Amino acid sequence: MSSVLFFLAAIGVITGATGVVVLRNPFYSVLALVIHLVSLAVLFLLLRAEFVAAVQVVVYAGAVMVLYVFVVAYVGGESDSIGERLRSRGAVGSGLRLGGAILGGAVCVELLIALLGTGLEAINGYGAGYSPGPQAYGTPAYIGKLLLTRFLLAFEVASFLLLIAAVGGVVLARRRGGLEDEDERDLLTPLEMLRPRGTGTMAEGVGRRSP
Amino acid sequence: MIPLATAHLKGPHIDFAGLSPLIALLGGSVLVLIVGLLGSRWIRAQAVPSLSLGALGAALGLTIWQWNAQKSIVSGALRIDDLALVLNLVLIAGAACTVLLAWRSLAAREAAHGEFHALLLSSVAGMSLLAAAQNTVALFVGLELLSIPLYVLCATELKREHSLESGLKYLIVGSVGSATLLYGLAMIYGATGTTDFAGIASALSNGSLATDPLTLTGVALCVAGLCFKSSIAPFHQWTPDVYEGAPTPVTAFMAVTTKVAAFGVFLRFFDVALIDTQVSWGPALAVLATITILVGNVGALGQSSLKRMLAYSSVAQAGYMLAGVVVSTQLGVRATVFYLAAYLFMNMAAFAVIVARERQTDLGDSIGALAGLGRERPLLAWPMTISMLALAGIPATAGFMGKFYLIDAAVSGGYTWLGVAIVVGSMISLGYYLPVIAAMWMREAPAATSPNDASVLAPTPGPLPALAGGSSELDEDGGPLSGSQPEVLVVAVLAGAATIFFGVIPQPLFDLVHGAGSGLGLF
Repeated sequence: MSSVLFFLAAIGVITGATGVVVLRNPFYSVLALVIHLVSLAVLFLLLRAEFVAAVQVVVYAGAVMVLYVFVVAYVGGESDSIGERLRSRGAVGSGLRLGGAILGGAVCVELLIALLGTGLEAINGYGAGYSPGPQAYGTPAYIGKLLLTRFLLAFEVASFLLLIAAVGGVVLARRRGGLEDEDERDLLTPLEMLRPRGTGTMAEGVGRRSP
Repeated sequence: MIPLATAHLKGPHIDFAGLSPLIALLGGSVLVLIVGLLGSRWIRAQAVPSLSLGALGAALGLTIWQWNAQKSIVSGALRIDDLALVLNLVLIAGAACTVLLAWRSLAAREAAHGEFHALLLSSVAGMSLLAAAQNTVALFVGLELLSIPLYVLCATELKREHSLESGLKYLIVGSVGSATLLYGLAMIYGATGTTDFAGIASALSNGSLATDPLTLTGVALCVAGLCFKSSIAPFHQWTPDVYEGAPTPVTAFMAVTTKVAAFGVFLRFFDVALIDTQVSWGPALAVLATITILVGNVGALGQSSLKRMLAYSSVAQAGYMLAGVVVSTQLGVRATVFYLAAYLFMNMAAFAVIVARERQTDLGDSIGALAGLGRERPLLAWPMTISMLALAGIPATAGFMGKFYLIDAAVSGGYTWLGVAIVVGSMISLGYYLPVIAAMWMREAPAATSPNDASVLAPTPGPLPALAGGSSELDEDGGPLSGSQPEVLVVAVLAGAATIFFGVIPQPLFDLVHGAGSGLGLF
């Protein structure tokens, strides 16, 4: 049963990944990526990583892919797709394609050598036996415990990383207008933050603030 | 079903003293972000950089307070030892110089001061984390905390196409590098079954695991990923474009501190965790170092953009520093750390002069912007001269001592030919460093600058004449052109002076890096 499931999922993973690269229409590429990610989740399940499999489906196949679909639907309606443009560039484009294919093939060969040549016995086995229970390897409880004990620092720093990535995204998105925006921006002074508007100051009396 | 209350979870002991420099940097980053939203233009333009200097100062003080500590903190995620602390000092000094260089820059204004400095400080925190990480998970998170703010910082001059191009290129190449490194780390975890450096080392030390194809593939992918980050040939192609396109203060920051962090990882990860595979990666890294020295030095010849020239030069310098990693001895670690510190002074002096000239002339960072600088502004010309001589490795500069130390380490580690490569590379490098000096001292100032130049022969750092060619954007709000730039001058002069000082009296720096070598358990 698990062998059948493995081969089905493996075919899905490889077909999906190939489809992402080969398909011309970006919308189909995104759908191929969904197939790839869901099949990958099945492979994770076979490895007894239930939590990772669930996260894979919920976060990637769910949330991230919906974002991709939105973005493609929003901006991706161009007639010439990226692949066409690369091809029409002539020598440079085709050279890049050839170089990319050679490098990809080299990495593939390297990984095959690594996986087939290794002396690790676990690679030929069928993985650890299934042991039910809340503290078993791969369960949410086990992963949560690791995040709060052994990998506490990485966990905390990752949360800061998300904050700073959001700040960076805002910096890039907001500043399209250039420097002029800065002067027109409604500035907050500490006083304004403490005192609600309309509480009767001279400035309000002469209509300078909140007219 | 077991109720949650019975699951007793004891958190790890958190050594806040050891973490304090990191906390100062991250806390400073958040504080700067908030202050950047408040108040007047003055507060944003002056108080925010002062606050970020304050945060760096606090981190510096806390680093010195932790001096001589030898401990693993937060369940073994970080190792606080002399190597981490010395690298912290170099990182903080580099970041402080960057804050000064960016004080009046267009990049900080376009990105809003609060955000710019918050990104800068969090990037420094990531580097500091990276220099101390002894766990592959902490290593990768630190690398991302370093990289993601830097991608944005490169693109902060949003109206300049080159800046955006630089940010995008760095994002794509950097992501490929990160992914490669992650792949390698995963393979090493798969082979050894642990993420701790000490655990990896002990797993590799017994049995045939050190020569297993899976381990070696992991090591190779890690080497490739780190080479992307430290721009070692043949993974350096992004360097010239990104360095040229990024705002100059950010380029200065990238050139110095990213190298410090990447070499911190090289030293700790390769000399602690992967030391038993040294017979495999040592020769490979030595070949990479030689290629890097050749490619960087030959590529820098004939560049007319100073930033591009310094980018190729930084590739070559990375090759020199890799020699200290290759030999994996205490002497090698010391030589690399010494060179990193010297590299900070040399590069900061050069970049400070480029920043100053970019604001004074409309020639940008081309070599013509320096023409006639020797007679016109000796206070800028001398640091640049010293920096160029030091980068080339002329005696009586810190660069010479650093190269000498590296060659010594290479020769005593059995890699004499690598020492020869360093010498040959330094000889080639004179071919592009000396024209810069010649342009400053032997060429006439370009007519485009100003007819007033004849009246400012004296080396006064006082108000400069209003020069032609400044864009209207720079001129507004008493822009850099109308006022002097004392902070840029201070960085240039101090960095130049330090280059000479540590070239003549290297003993304090030797003492500083001495402990860094002994903490890793090498002989």
